[in-house]
Amino acid sequence: MRRDGFGRLVLAEWTKLRTVPRWMTVLAGLVGVTALFALIDTSDQGGDVSEGESLQDADFTDDFHFVHQPLTGDGNIVARVVSQENSHEWAKAGLIVKERLEPGAPYAAVLVTPEHGVRMQWDFGEDVAGSENGEAPRWLRLTRSGDVVTGYESADGTDWQEVGEVDLEDLPSTVEVGLFVASPLAVEIERQYGNNSLSEIPTPGEAMFDNVRVALDRGSPAPGDGEWNDYDTSVEPDLGGSTESDGVFTVRGSGDIAENVRPFDDDLVERSLTGAGVGMLAVVALGALFITAEFKRGMIRTTFAACPGRGRVLAAKAIVLGGAAFSAGLAAAVASFLVSMRTLRTAERAPGTPELSLANPTVLRALVGTAVLFALVAVFSLAVATIVRHTAVAIPLVILPLLIPSIESGGLPLSVANWLVRLTPAAGLAVQQTITRYDTAIAPLVGLGVMAAYAAVALGVATLLLRRRDA
Amino acid sequence: MTPLPAGRLRRAVQAEWTKLRTVPSLPWLLAAAVGLTVLGSAGSLASVDTSQCPTPSECFEDTTKLSLSGVWLGQAAVVVLGVLAMGSEYGTGTIGPTLAATPSRRLVLLAKAVAVTAVALVAGVVGVLGSLAAGRAILPGNGFTSANGYEPLSLADGPTLRAAGGTVLYLVLVGLLSLGVATAVRGTAGAITGVLALLYAFPIVAQLVSDPRWQHRLERYGPMEAGLSVQHTMRLDELSIAPWPGLGVLATYAGFALVSGLTLFLLRDA
Repeated sequence: MRRDGFGRLVLAEWTKLRTVPRWMTVLAGLVGVTALFALIDTSDQGGDVSEGESLQDADFTDDFHFVHQPLTGDGNIVARVVSQENSHEWAKAGLIVKERLEPGAPYAAVLVTPEHGVRMQWDFGEDVAGSENGEAPRWLRLTRSGDVVTGYESADGTDWQEVGEVDLEDLPSTVEVGLFVASPLAVEIERQYGNNSLSEIPTPGEAMFDNVRVALDRGSPAPGDGEWNDYDTSVEPDLGGSTESDGVFTVRGSGDIAENVRPFDDDLVERSLTGAGVGMLAVVALGALFITAEFKRGMIRTTFAACPGRGRVLAAKAIVLGGAAFSAGLAAAVASFLVSMRTLRTAERAPGTPELSLANPTVLRALVGTAVLFALVAVFSLAVATIVRHTAVAIPLVILPLLIPSIESGGLPLSVANWLVRLTPAAGLAVQQTITRYDTAIAPLVGLGVMAAYAAVALGVATLLLRRRDA
Repeated sequence: MTPLPAGRLRRAVQAEWTKLRTVPSLPWLLAAAVGLTVLGSAGSLASVDTSQCPTPSECFEDTTKLSLSGVWLGQAAVVVLGVLAMGSEYGTGTIGPTLAATPSRRLVLLAKAVAVTAVALVAGVVGVLGSLAAGRAILPGNGFTSANGYEPLSLADGPTLRAAGGTVLYLVLVGLLSLGVATAVRGTAGAITGVLALLYAFPIVAQLVSDPRWQHRLERYGPMEAGLSVQHTMRLDELSIAPWPGLGVLATYAGFALVSGLTLFLLRDA
């Protein structure tokens, strides 16, 4: 067959899709229905943010225990973290330079964590990884030279590696340096009355330090009195404190120095795309019908007479169907998003609600991802229908695994519900997430990959069976 | 409308029963309805245990409802069954001969409704009994013991009996709803997708709507959410809709679907 044969095949399949008025109505209708859901979904909720207890005005948290002293001019601080309680995987114990003793003041810190190795962090969210297995005991050093703060780590206190370097602009001559301990809030899930109730509970961080030394570079002014002071912003006052004996510091603190993660926040973009889950059902039906209609009317024999390459026929069908579903999905997603954002803009906004626009790359990923998801679902449905050859069986076979995990999850323990999402085509819906929540089951693109794997495997099996079986 | 003579109804029901009975996929669909219900229930049961609660006696778990939760899955097979009872006639063109044999369209639809009811009843009773048996077997192992305040499931218990019987009725109504929708849209694919969307879309949207008023409305008037309130045996005063009225909501959906299906059936060419 000539090279352009496949192009004609695609054209033929496109003609088949295009000329069934009902199918084109369905495609147009699903865009409308999806957008309509967005309208219902976001109407009537001015400022009424559910589970709003965790909402804070600030976009950072600055809660920890700090054993500090002033440092004037250039210098460094060294200490060994002897041990650290594993109170949270992201518990922090280490050294910090802070511009002044005030929540939100600029800082740079080098620290150890129980499960994420050595890190250098600054500016509430900037994070550089040091050695991965660098849990306590570990030597840490922080140097200040002008506006530049550099973090080092060492296994033995003699052989040092740089972890990271940061320019804290306009750092005053006198800053506070010292030891700090923090341990983030943990999300606790308890089951009662057949539902999961969620709460954030403080975790008690604790670490021991020794070999603590603050030294000045030559040419700097004379040191202060070298007295250590306590500064505590722990989330619960009795979880913060410090003791010292024979140069060994035991520091306790609870909270986090980080950007304000809001594990219970609504994902506004994902919510605006809720209707897509419903619109997708139309794509499932279309995908199944695109092949079963040919089986039912015997049209498939004419198709195979015209093009004996059965794999090529299925490929052409998948391309045409995927393209149509992608276009409809993109139109539906963009329409839903715009409708939702319009409503949100007019409603009273909760503090800290980010401004979202189509130009935001995360938003764009969610919208285009939804369109890709539509295409994958359509192809998956086409493949399943080719395998089972019955519309009535194919449609529930695709719809159930796609929808059940997101419905059932309400009544199941979170860990089980999350595994249900990860292992089924429902994982593809993760591509609509734009923030990480306490119940996030799978990363957006990984989820889309799971769906793609389902579609690819089904398409492979379908091709094989189509070649082997009588038409 | 003139009343239907009993003899004609009996013959029509017999004819429809024969058709439904001989649908090649019927054994599979029945097996799927029962199997999905029991497996779904067993899966939910296995994933919940008292260690997830503050203390075992503070779980306040509705063990009856948990044991019957597989209906969420099993109903899909009943939907297919209800749709196929009518949809397959249009698909294969046998609707012509059917109407030639029984010219009264009212009678045809009524007979089909009786046949679907019978099949759904069988699937429902077996599925529900299987689920309750799974509950009795699994619950004690997960800490839901008499010592912790959970009596073994028993149909002698009034609310449990209501939940079990109501669940069977729920499946029957889902079958009738599917039959009605299939009659109205005259196609298998559209009917199945439509009914599944109607059942499953409400809870998905309800989950994501933050406005409590809208959430309440969606739970109160969604066919699945309202219908399944019949499974609750605890804290009935906190339900969006009471058990029997909830089943009534689903019955209203099914009735509306059947009436509009019949109207279109009477008005249109086959």
